[in-house]
Amino acid sequence: MEAGTLPTYGSGPLSGVRVVDFTWWVVGPWAPRLLADLGAEVIKVERVDQFDGTRGNSMLGRRARSGRPVIRESPNQSGGFNNLNANKLGATLNMRHPKGLELAERLIAKSDCVVENFSAGVMESWGLGWERMREINPRLIYVSLSGWGHSGAWSGYRSYGPTAAAISGLTYASGLPGAESAGWGFSYMDVQGGFLGSLALVSALYHAKRTGEGSFVDYSIIEGAMSMLGPYFLDFDVNGRKTRRPDFPPGNRSIFPPLAPHNTYRCTGQDAVGQDRWCFIACETEEQWGALCHLMGRPELARDQRFSSNAARVEHQDELDAIIQAWTEPLPRYDVMSRCQSAGIISGVVQNGEDRVEYDPQLRERGVYPVIDHPELGPYGYEAYAPKLSRTPAKARRGAPLYKEHNMYVYGELLGLSADEVTQLQNDGIV
Amino acid sequence: MSGFFDGLLVIELADRRNQYVGKLLADGGARVIQVEPLSGSPGRHCGPFVHDRPDPNACLDYWYYNAGKESIRIDITTPAGAQLVGRLVETADIFVESQLKNALIPLDLDYETLAQRTAGKLIQASLTDFGQNGPWRDLKANDTSHMALGGPMGSSGYSDPTVTPIGGQGHQPWNVAGTLGAHAIVSALIERLTSGIGQYVDCSIHDCMSICTEGAIPAWIYSGQVLHRNTGQHASAVGPAAGRLNIRAADGRWVNTVATQLTPYLWANVLEWLIEQGVEGELADPRYLDDVYRATRWREGTEIQEAYARLLAKVPSYEAMHRAQGFGLTWSVIQSPEENYDHAHWHERGFFTSIDQPGAQAPVRFPRGPYLIDGAQFQPRGPAPALGEHTRSVLSELLGMDGASIRGLQESGAI
Repeated sequence: MEAGTLPTYGSGPLSGVRVVDFTWWVVGPWAPRLLADLGAEVIKVERVDQFDGTRGNSMLGRRARSGRPVIRESPNQSGGFNNLNANKLGATLNMRHPKGLELAERLIAKSDCVVENFSAGVMESWGLGWERMREINPRLIYVSLSGWGHSGAWSGYRSYGPTAAAISGLTYASGLPGAESAGWGFSYMDVQGGFLGSLALVSALYHAKRTGEGSFVDYSIIEGAMSMLGPYFLDFDVNGRKTRRPDFPPGNRSIFPPLAPHNTYRCTGQDAVGQDRWCFIACETEEQWGALCHLMGRPELARDQRFSSNAARVEHQDELDAIIQAWTEPLPRYDVMSRCQSAGIISGVVQNGEDRVEYDPQLRERGVYPVIDHPELGPYGYEAYAPKLSRTPAKARRGAPLYKEHNMYVYGELLGLSADEVTQLQNDGIV
Repeated sequence: MSGFFDGLLVIELADRRNQYVGKLLADGGARVIQVEPLSGSPGRHCGPFVHDRPDPNACLDYWYYNAGKESIRIDITTPAGAQLVGRLVETADIFVESQLKNALIPLDLDYETLAQRTAGKLIQASLTDFGQNGPWRDLKANDTSHMALGGPMGSSGYSDPTVTPIGGQGHQPWNVAGTLGAHAIVSALIERLTSGIGQYVDCSIHDCMSICTEGAIPAWIYSGQVLHRNTGQHASAVGPAAGRLNIRAADGRWVNTVATQLTPYLWANVLEWLIEQGVEGELADPRYLDDVYRATRWREGTEIQEAYARLLAKVPSYEAMHRAQGFGLTWSVIQSPEENYDHAHWHERGFFTSIDQPGAQAPVRFPRGPYLIDGAQFQPRGPAPALGEHTRSVLSELLGMDGASIRGLQESGAI
């Protein structure tokens, strides 16, 4: 068994921090990945008999663009997995075996953080509840990401990203008025939920480093989703106003504050799968509205009583949107955006993945999708840690680990077992 | 009440884009002083307002994002005002703002100047639309334009390719960038424990949103695939989805029926339920007991979703959710946000924190936030401040100013 390629640590702000990562799918892996980007040693522990589901997620791409041969049976060629687990190390462990549990405890004793995203009760079923982990390591941070939380009547319920979006109100709050919910076309709370989980990790870590005290964070992703909708809760609690009303959700219009124009407008052409092109435009000031009238070659609109104030424009926004769309419809989307921006008007193309990677000069200059080489996939871009720290920046160190890649490092170098012992554990189905 | 950020002092230059950063730090126990212009933070003027009466002290959006902070009113465009902010930052651990560097240099509030004045200890975080460099640095944006440019809108909407894509409500770009901005700040705090030196965080909302779209970027980078929007479900790399996940139940409410894998156990329970309601149709065919066949039909066919629709036409939404969750199926009712106030589960977890908020007739039930912590709290610590409520107390306590000096600043228009 090879020791695997180890990353180079030392420069990140979290250098010297070790995280045991039992997460899988999407929401879990994002949380420790942000720590790995910042220099922490994150050891992703997968099951011996079943790898992380994202490794097998062909939707995220196995039609390799690098020209390298694709091995259909390989668990190491998922783009989605590589994106979510870059900069991590990879090991496997059978937590249902007493020896596996003992190894987990030894690893936890040498680590700063444990993070997982199982449903409530799974860790306890292994004999690794918070009480036990705290005995092993009093300074430990344990962050559990679950859908519904570890307490309460529904704590046994299960959740995926769309579940969290639906029950929290996020799905309902996305759509055209009077129409079925559009919802979110991806698991927003798997990504933003992961970011919030990562914030829990570093916050508890900061506390532990100052006080020597460990912490257990029971992080409910649905509670995280609800906390993304706070003003709607307060509007109901204080004003009794429900979001189940004819004008909500408002599509891409703005209700608080009421603003017009504030919408998406069709442009010329279709994308690679035949969907129309769109550009968002908003005017928040009279100057912007006047500039838009001029841009559209319709200066008289600024004096038209239907559109002479923001309140009037809001009242007549169906007519207003039709006028603006008549202007945008024959134009290419980036042309609309650049004309508006040149006149100081808020605007933005509705960009898809292709647009952001290929045509967005800002993301390119800021290095948001840097390239990392991966031994099986080859060189591919990945989604980098977004904020830029001036003195200790995040770094792309390595691609996601191959399945079982770092078993020798973790059980040999870290836990002190010999190569023969690790090989025996592998033969016994324990690692 | 203790928190992870007890003892930290944060100065926040009021801006709707950065107020979630301050909220997260305040919820964790930091003292957050928001510096507002004389007219108040832009966040005070967006609404909704208490009883729909515009009032900078009665904006519910502002209340939510600023509960537990202090407010000091300073006109930083005046030399005296800018100088005051600089002196306040000298006492602080963290300075949060949303300005381009060029705008702060004339005020002596840029990082290089402030770092010198704080012996390098300061952590300064700037949350801007596009960051501090790049060809789009100076472009105009708002929360919805970031939903467009950053990608969430491109994946969300309806299956009809001629219908507009949709950006979800709730200022999500500011929430995402606020979360990542706070993450970078706390990571810099951890590093400062060792080095004793702070740093500058350049946080672009566009960058943050552009890593927040799950499959859209990997699908393009690895496979050259553009995603097709699907009503009420994930955008798909293989064109429009065959079936539907959001299904209307007997009581008229919609239920999300997502499941990544219909295991034999889940399928046995589903089938029993379908048969019980007499709506199993062809799904009783033994072929559906085969895992691969069932998974393929779930992904590529519509008959399972059609059976769900027949089932849900007979069963009310919450009854369906509870029964499905009872055997491990991840169904949930599509609720409006405020309907969560009705569920004992969230109250049992203490998710709603009642706060005596001046301007409200009764205590207001604020959402707590995402974390329940053993031995510490991460939740709103008090009401949102009135505009300038803490101007005198902050200047007196942190800068040692007496009444005459403060009156002088008032008369000069600096505060």
